[in-house]
Amino acid sequence: MPESPFNLQEKTILITGASSGIGKQIAISIASMGAKVILVARNTEKLTNVKELLDGAGHIVLSLDITDEIAIAAAVDKIPPLDGIVHAAGILKLAPIKILDFNQLKQITETNYLAPVNLTRLLLNKKKIQSAASVVFLTSVNGVYTAVKGFGAYAGSKSALNSISKVMALEYASRKIRFNTIAPGMIKTEMYHEMIKQVSDESVKEDKLKYPLGDYGEPEDVANAAIFLLSAASKWITGTTLVVDGGLTII
Amino acid sequence: MGIQEFITKFEQQLEDVEPGTITAATNYRELEEWDSMTSLVIIAMVDREYNKQISGNDIMNAATVEELYNIIAK
Repeated sequence: MPESPFNLQEKTILITGASSGIGKQIAISIASMGAKVILVARNTEKLTNVKELLDGAGHIVLSLDITDEIAIAAAVDKIPPLDGIVHAAGILKLAPIKILDFNQLKQITETNYLAPVNLTRLLLNKKKIQSAASVVFLTSVNGVYTAVKGFGAYAGSKSALNSISKVMALEYASRKIRFNTIAPGMIKTEMYHEMIKQVSDESVKEDKLKYPLGDYGEPEDVANAAIFLLSAASKWITGTTLVVDGGLTII
Repeated sequence: MGIQEFITKFEQQLEDVEPGTITAATNYRELEEWDSMTSLVIIAMVDREYNKQISGNDIMNAATVEELYNIIAK
């Protein structure tokens, strides 16, 4: 059998938000494809538990609050050269404009937009992102393609991330560093389970009907898209968005 | 946290009522302006002001402002 273009052997890949949800699944999936994973999130214990689940050896736990500017700047020096980054850390909060106060707006924007951009910028400037590396930002169909009542700050942060990813793609194309986004629809993660507590069963049922392929997505669906974008299989793809939404945005 | 404070905060989220018209006995879902957006606003207000997560089901199951308050005060 010829070698798969999707394999991640010899690649060192950093994942933020690696302690739960989509980030955790991406860590598990890319390790199974041969990657050496640097797991980033705030909680050391949770990260260590995720590390236990990973195939292969040489994975690193790096407990960090990505919104902590000073801690991040100090940590970047210790990070080995990278072949890939997945920005999966993010927060989702129900806050209609009427309720959204400036603190909430800042908190959502910091975690979902400023932190991933700042971390990427620092890693680039410290020459930690190698030529031919792939950077993946987790966005959402919400904000990039659709709008949902109550999630304005979230939508704004994700669409900002979507825009800057394309600019990074242009600015680093000559160095063959690629930047792409994955825009998932609703995925069944811990964050999702917290969120649906606030909406009625009826509206979840109604919402699922909007997905042509039915139900909501699994974290694996997003992780498999990440494998593709991190691997050499996508070496001529940059500045794009891979939509993983069961067909939601067709209509 | 008292019910009077809750009534005030509840009323502040509404657009078309005169101040002081909402009482503990008000059946909020029968208000003319009540819709899915109002429901979202109340859920998010309770989250922010009381750090309590109520659901859309709670909003549908309670009838009066007082019944909703009792869910939050639990």
